[in-house]
Amino acid sequence: MSEERDVHPDCRNASNPYHECTDYCFRVIAEAKLRMQLHHQSVAQASGGSRREEAIPNELYPDEGTHDDGPRPEENSDSEPDQPEPAQENMEDGSFPKLSSRQKKWMELRAKMQEAKKRNQIEIANEKKRMEPPTESRGVSKQKWLEDRKKKIGKLLDANGLDMTKAYMLDTQEAAEEKYKKWDKDPAPFGWDVFNQRTLYNAYKKRTKNIEVDVEEYNRMKEADPEFYRDASSLQYGKAPKISEDKIDKMVQELKDRDAKRGSFSRRRKFNDEKDVDSINDRNEHFNKKIERAFGKYTLEIKNNLERGTALPD
Amino acid sequence: MRICGGAKNKNYGPIQITAEQIVREARELEEIHRHRPPKQKINDGTELGEYRLRKRKEFEDLIRRVGWNVKVWVKYAEWEESQKDFDRARSVWERVLEVDYKNHTLWLKYAEFEMKNRFINHARNVWHRAITLLPRVDQLWYKYIHMENMLGNVVGVRRIFEMWMEWMPERHAWLSYIKFELKYKEIQHARDLFERFVLCHPTVASWIRYAKFEINNGDACSTRNVFERALDKVVAAEDDEEAHKFFVAFADFEASCNETHRAECIYQFALHHHVPKGINC
Repeated sequence: MSEERDVHPDCRNASNPYHECTDYCFRVIAEAKLRMQLHHQSVAQASGGSRREEAIPNELYPDEGTHDDGPRPEENSDSEPDQPEPAQENMEDGSFPKLSSRQKKWMELRAKMQEAKKRNQIEIANEKKRMEPPTESRGVSKQKWLEDRKKKIGKLLDANGLDMTKAYMLDTQEAAEEKYKKWDKDPAPFGWDVFNQRTLYNAYKKRTKNIEVDVEEYNRMKEADPEFYRDASSLQYGKAPKISEDKIDKMVQELKDRDAKRGSFSRRRKFNDEKDVDSINDRNEHFNKKIERAFGKYTLEIKNNLERGTALPD
Repeated sequence: MRICGGAKNKNYGPIQITAEQIVREARELEEIHRHRPPKQKINDGTELGEYRLRKRKEFEDLIRRVGWNVKVWVKYAEWEESQKDFDRARSVWERVLEVDYKNHTLWLKYAEFEMKNRFINHARNVWHRAITLLPRVDQLWYKYIHMENMLGNVVGVRRIFEMWMEWMPERHAWLSYIKFELKYKEIQHARDLFERFVLCHPTVASWIRYAKFEINNGDACSTRNVFERALDKVVAAEDDEEAHKFFVAFADFEASCNETHRAECIYQFALHHHVPKGINC
C-alpha cells in the first residue's frame, strides 16, 4: 500500500504503520503541546522534585500499540485515571506539599477532561452511526465486506503468528458450535448421491471461476460475426472458430490439475496391523473389507458368540 | 486298533490352535511362495514392440473374458494412450461404446482423452454424440460447456446452452446459463432467459430469483412488474413457506423504494391470504 498516509509526525502513534491521524489525534497533539508548556512552567516554578515530575509525562503518554482509533480513547483514559493516582501518591509523599496540592488539582482536572472527552467520542460515534444511511446488506458491497473481514482476520493472525490456513483457531467455542450446527443442517452428500444436481452445479461454478472474462475480445467477436446470438438450430454448427494455442494449453493444464485433484477425493485409511488376520490373500482382504462394511453391524453378535465359543442366552 | 467313527480320547489337546493362527500362517506362506516375473528393461525398438504385443494380447484376452466390466476396457484405452498410439486408443473407446453407450463415465473419459491430447475437433464430435445420446445427464452438458468456455468460444457456449434449454433441464442448468450471460453483461438476454425460466419452472422460488435479478440489474418499474405478475401464481400456490418468503421479498423491495404504504398493503394482503409464521413488519 503505497498511498500517502496522513500521519502527523508528532502523533504518538506515528510508528504504527496502520495508523492514520484523525481529528482526535490532532486534538491530542494540541493538548500534549499545551501540557508540555504547562509542565515547563511548573518545572520552572518548582524548586526540585524534577525526577518525580518527569515521571508524570512518561506515564501520561501511554503505550503506543497497534490499536484502532476506537479503543484508543477508552484505553488512554482508562490508563490515565489510574496513573495519576500513583503519581499523586508519590507527590504526597514528596517533600513539597505546596507543589503536590497544585499538582493534585491539575491531575484531577485532567482526569475529568479525559473522562469527558472519552464520553464525547463515544457519543459522536453513535450519532454518526445513527445519522448515516444504513449500509447495504447484500449485493454490491458484499465483496468489500468480505475483503475487510479478510484483512481483519489477517491482522489478528499475524499478531498471533498464525497462517491463513489456521484461521479457524481464532474462533471462540460458541462460534465453532454455530458452525457445526450449520454444517449438520446441510450435510455433504456421500455414497451414490455424490453427483447430485446441486454438487454438479457447484463444481461447474467452481471451475468457471478460474476463467477470465475478456470483455473486449467478446465485443470484437460480436462485431466480427453477424450471427453472434445464434440459437440451437443454427446452420453454422460445424464451423468452429480458430482457437489460439495458449487457450488450448490452459485447457489442458486445467484438465491435468483436475486429474491430480481427483486423487485426493478419497483418503487412504490407516493400516491397522494389530487387527486379527482373517484373509489369506490381498484379494481376500479386500473382499473381507467390503463384506464387513455391508454386513458388519448385523453379524457382530454372531461373531462374538463364535469367539466366545458359546452363545449367550438372550 | 483303528479309530473309526470317532476318537476315543475326548480330552482337550495340550496345545490349542486358533483359526486366526491358521489363517495367518496361510498368508505368510503365500508371501514366501509368491514369484513375480523378473523386472526387464526395454532396450530398443524390437523389445518395445514385443512388450506392446504382449500387453495387447493380455488386454484383448481380458476384454474377451470380462467384456461387461468397463474397468478393463478403460485400462486398455488408457494404456494405449500412454503408449501415444492415439488411433488404437480411439478404436478401443469406440468398441467399448458399442458395448455400453449408456455409461456416461465412458463418454466423459473418452472426451477427456481427446481434450488432453489436444484434439479439439475430435473432442467436439465426442461431446456432441454424448449429449445427443444422453441428454439428461447434466455432467456431459456442463463439461462440454466448460470446454468451449475455456477455449473462449463464446458463440459455441451459447449454442450449447440453447440446445440444452430446449430439453427443459433442472433449475441449476438455467441458472448457470443466466450466470454465463451476466458474466458478459448481456442484461437483456438474461431478462429473456428469466422469462423462459419462469415458464419452464413456475415455482415461487424462480419468481423470487427473477425479482432479485431485476432488483440488481433493472429499474424499479420492471421489478414491480415482475412482482405483480408473480402475485397471482403465488396466491394460487399451496406452499406457505415459499409464499412467505415471496411476500417478505416484495415488501422489502417496496420499503427500499420508500413506498411504505404499498409495503403495508402487501403485508395486509399476505396476512389475509396465508397464515404467516412470524412475519415481522
